[in-house]
Amino acid sequence: MTITVGIDPVTVEIIRNALNSAADDMNATLIRSAYTPVIYECGDCVVALLDADHRVLGQSAGLPIFLGNLETCTRATEEMYGREVWRPGDVWILNDSYLDGTHLNDVTMFGPVFVGDTLVGFTASRAHWMDVGSKDPGGSMDSVNIFQEGLRMGPQRLVIDGVEQPSVTSIIGTNVRFPYPTNGDMHAMIACITMGAKRLQEIVDRFGLDTLELARDEIFRQTEILEREVIAAIPDGVYAAEGVLDNDGVDLDTPVPIRLKITVSGEDIDFDVTESADQTVGPVNCGVAQAISALRVGYKLLISPDLPGNGGSFRSMTTQVREGSVLGAVAPAACQWYFSHLGLLIDMVARALAPVLPDRVAGASAGDSMLILTAGRDPRVNRDFVTLEATVGGWGAWEGSDGESALINNVNGSLKDIPIEVFETRFPWRISEYRIRPDSGGSGRWRGGNGVVRTYEALTNMTVSLWFERSRQPAWGLFGGEDAVGPAVVINPGRPDERHILKINGMPVHTGDVVRCATGGGGGYGDAVRRSAQDVQADIVDRNVTPEAARTHYGIVAEPVVPPAAVHPALVQPTACGLSSDVAAPLISGVATSVWEASA
Amino acid sequence: MTRYRVAMDIGGTFTDVVTYDEGAGVFTAAKASTTPEKLSEGVLAGLDSVVTNLADVNFLVHGTTQGLNAFLERRGVPVLLLGTAGAEDVYHIARGPRTRLYDLHYRKPEPLVRRRDVLGIGGRITAEGTELTPLDEQAVRDAARVARERGHGAIAVAFLFSYKNPAHELRAREILLEELGPDFPVSLSHEAAKEWREYERTSSAVLESYTGPIVRRYLLDLEERLDDRGMTVPLHVMQSSGGVLTAETARAHPLQTLLSGPVGGAIACAELAAQIGRPNLIGIDMGGTSFDVSLIVDGEPDVSVEAQLEGLPMLMSVVNIHTVGAGGGSVAWQEAGGLRVGPRSAGARPGPACYGRGGTEPTVTDANLVLGRIDPQGFAGGQMTLDPGLAEAAVAELGARFDLSPVAMAEGICDVANSKMAQAIRTITVSRGIEPRGSSLVAFGGAGPMHAVFLAQELGIAETIVPRFPGAFSAWGMLQTRIRQDYTEPYFFLDADLDGEDMSAALTRMEREGLAALQHEGVDEQRRSAGHAVDVRYAEQEYTLTVPLLDAAEPTTPGFLEAVAKRFAQLHEARYGHANLGAPIEFVTLRTTAFGDLGKPTPQKWPAATTPEFPFETRQVVFDGEARDTILAHRDDLLAGHRVSGPAVIIEDTATTVVPPGYLLTVDDIGSLIIRGEEQE
Repeated sequence: MTITVGIDPVTVEIIRNALNSAADDMNATLIRSAYTPVIYECGDCVVALLDADHRVLGQSAGLPIFLGNLETCTRATEEMYGREVWRPGDVWILNDSYLDGTHLNDVTMFGPVFVGDTLVGFTASRAHWMDVGSKDPGGSMDSVNIFQEGLRMGPQRLVIDGVEQPSVTSIIGTNVRFPYPTNGDMHAMIACITMGAKRLQEIVDRFGLDTLELARDEIFRQTEILEREVIAAIPDGVYAAEGVLDNDGVDLDTPVPIRLKITVSGEDIDFDVTESADQTVGPVNCGVAQAISALRVGYKLLISPDLPGNGGSFRSMTTQVREGSVLGAVAPAACQWYFSHLGLLIDMVARALAPVLPDRVAGASAGDSMLILTAGRDPRVNRDFVTLEATVGGWGAWEGSDGESALINNVNGSLKDIPIEVFETRFPWRISEYRIRPDSGGSGRWRGGNGVVRTYEALTNMTVSLWFERSRQPAWGLFGGEDAVGPAVVINPGRPDERHILKINGMPVHTGDVVRCATGGGGGYGDAVRRSAQDVQADIVDRNVTPEAARTHYGIVAEPVVPPAAVHPALVQPTACGLSSDVAAPLISGVATSVWEASA
Repeated sequence: MTRYRVAMDIGGTFTDVVTYDEGAGVFTAAKASTTPEKLSEGVLAGLDSVVTNLADVNFLVHGTTQGLNAFLERRGVPVLLLGTAGAEDVYHIARGPRTRLYDLHYRKPEPLVRRRDVLGIGGRITAEGTELTPLDEQAVRDAARVARERGHGAIAVAFLFSYKNPAHELRAREILLEELGPDFPVSLSHEAAKEWREYERTSSAVLESYTGPIVRRYLLDLEERLDDRGMTVPLHVMQSSGGVLTAETARAHPLQTLLSGPVGGAIACAELAAQIGRPNLIGIDMGGTSFDVSLIVDGEPDVSVEAQLEGLPMLMSVVNIHTVGAGGGSVAWQEAGGLRVGPRSAGARPGPACYGRGGTEPTVTDANLVLGRIDPQGFAGGQMTLDPGLAEAAVAELGARFDLSPVAMAEGICDVANSKMAQAIRTITVSRGIEPRGSSLVAFGGAGPMHAVFLAQELGIAETIVPRFPGAFSAWGMLQTRIRQDYTEPYFFLDADLDGEDMSAALTRMEREGLAALQHEGVDEQRRSAGHAVDVRYAEQEYTLTVPLLDAAEPTTPGFLEAVAKRFAQLHEARYGHANLGAPIEFVTLRTTAFGDLGKPTPQKWPAATTPEFPFETRQVVFDGEARDTILAHRDDLLAGHRVSGPAVIIEDTATTVVPPGYLLTVDDIGSLIIRGEEQE
């Protein structure tokens, strides 16, 4: 085993932990100070420390879809203005879909870090802003160019030598609908960048830049080795997958194909998406940087899920994205829903590599955010309201386990649904049904997770917008596992005016109207005939599979008879209720995470 | 006649007993073996070891792990859950977040009830608390039959909006008890947690149903045995909130005892903060297999109104304890040519190599032993002898892979472990908006004092404190607490719509209820008090902060809204780094806490030194790569006013304190060890 000359492994490990921890502190600062729930609750943000050559020193496990492209922003700025543009005490801001790849709501901020006169690196953060002045509040379902999507900024110096620039903040303030929380989120990001700079300076002060650089090289080397080992174990070859979006949200009849070709050669892996559709009129485009991020998420889920990301990550990975395609959009393509095909692409990486990584992959997930947005005036309090909800769906099964039901999609991080009690208290709706949707997961040896049904009854007149995707190609199964059932939204089910619809912008609904949203399940894994009768019986009893589906998909005729619960020994034998010989073991179970910790 | 106050902290292996002799004003600590099969017998044996006659016990408190163990081992009673028809799946949907983002094989926290054991019951209350659909009473009767047939041991009932209008839940219980008998355990969600958010409230009720019958049975059994043995005072039980309750009340609210074990340490820190005049403390409790961090801010433990247990939420007051690592059992290993320490743990079995139980991987405990920082004979109060040869072999084997001597490897393992623990502490403080430099570090648990000064150094903390009885600090804390009962009332109003008279009336009702409960707890009238607070947030925000109120009448006073907005803004600034005085605020939940003062032991003065000398030996211990002559002293030989210059190792029955070179230890007048950098003196 070679060790980088000139540095001992203890110092390397202390520095490695210090860099990751600095990123955690940045993230904690951002989440602590943010004003809007999409950041502090959904964690729709990411932070990174970069070295002077824009390589990642440490980053927090932020929203996966932002994985490893903050450096694109510092690099692009440097290419535009030259390296001498970096000055101590400056903070930059940028939201440009064609540079950072994402929609305009995702704002990236970054600052150079100096020790004395030496540029030692950068700190950067990205967070979702609630509104950036698009034609509809929060973003539109039907924009056809970037100009309808809000304020777009190339790299701007927001803070110069520690002084915030009103010339920039006033542009932001006058272009967004909610300047107050936007201002708060902006300052949270500045605080995060400042915190990261301080931490990086402390690390340089403590260890010296030379030692830090030696440690960095060794840290990158370790990460690269671990990833290359996994790739080397994959047989050389070309692995492909094809997926399709229902449509671009504007032209509802034309599907949008996404094509992925993965070439493994020794320790190297190449991802090619150049054969994907041309950029669309509707807003399902993204810039190159986000296509690369999505591919990296797919890669990371399979190759290195437990490794903290750094400049050694993805060294064995190359990507080919075509300019002018939906994954390499150029101006003025609309990018508001930049993530629908990215979620699909992440699932496609697993599909392509399934034959060679059968234990690591899973069937596809319901996949998209499945959004319902409603707006109107609440007659109970005579105030305007807007609701925006992503709806949970089923995830794919894998070797050894059924898929999980009712889980948020990849792109929404750790988002929680809105409780019925909160929703009905705040908005003039009644939620009459919120249930797991049986039979929606693909059947198989391992069954795909189920989606949900969430039914809303309007208590006043208002408008509803919908973005439900993945109906043409519902979540696929693997190795003989069946495909899932896709999403379905029905307006006024069973009434003469019943309507089926998946995407719409600002549809009027009236008091008493019903909107029934059903999300899709996840794909199955392995042939359904291999599923045991007991497992199918349990599925029926637990209402995951109906008796009819058990018959058609598994060929099993069974009734929902519930066996008796095991009676707890404590109830029959008073002295038998004791504690194990080692109470500490399950509490800590060897993981450095909190087993019980109050959520603030 | 001698009277005793006794606290017992029941751990997995040992039960710590701390006794306070009210006549002599003296504390003593003892350790007894925990008897997992017959827990109450172990408790009695522990009591016998410190008190000859139970009639002499004036006050007895204990933290029970009964409910927690049943939960962790998934040995609770089979629960039938009744939910609102149409929304009966909220418990399994569990709000749907993915908390591990790079996990393609993600599973939700394992629920305690299977879907087959959830029944939707017709009946609906609206957001305004009115009845939309009447309760389907026949469905409840059918559910009772299901419970009987399937052998459920408890029923949890959690209907939508029951916190607004509990009529359906109350009627359901009447029916269930008619059908199943008056003693059948039924938990109602609005009683387990009277707050909005149906998933969290349902989860609270299910947890109570799942663990409650076991806690109840255990407490009844123990109370009976204590009675038989002549104890004349009620048994008290520690709660997750940091207060205590009589066992009788705890049986009615068993959920409150669920996290009572680790909380004692935080309460002990709060008491120490008062005794030594340090309002801000970071408590680190490090044992063989765990590393827990708690915060004392402005003299108060950090309490939240919601907690999670293995991912399952509970709505109740809980002292925050952050479990951030595996303590002495953290394994050092090699990956891609790099050194790693943890997060994997050797646990208690096989444990560190030096335990001689078959472990071969080097752990932090092994590294400390190689460096001479642990006395191999006196580990865990002499209950265990460590094998330095096995530790050295394990550390040397790893060192060879890095071309490091065993000693350099051992110190490296400790350095990496210390830096990781320090960073974990830093991230916790940053999340709370606290600067660690402004706090003192309090080290307890067997291994805490061994690492504490190194952690303080990493965090820039000037002062490390090792209290007396660091191995039994939690039990000591339990003797310092008071009766506490929490009451909540959902109270959802925009500030503009608030009726101060109505709010005050609600608080007064809660106070009356709380004070009556204290009377029931046997608290004298002059020792009863109540505190009030309200959860507030900016309009449209999701999360709330708990804002203290002066008293129940405050909402009726002029300027109340401005005062509470200002208080909220100050809290918001401290917690989140910003505030917006003047923005509309929302009231969400009223909180009343009734306190019963139990009296506290008088802090015991530690004997003062008459000369600067104290007995010590010298031993070789490694610091900074070099074996150095190090003072080895026994804690009981160090009297108030003694000063010890590092390097030094102070040993006592339950813990070892390491003072690195450049640090000075002084003993304060209550016997705490105070360690600071030499240059600060």
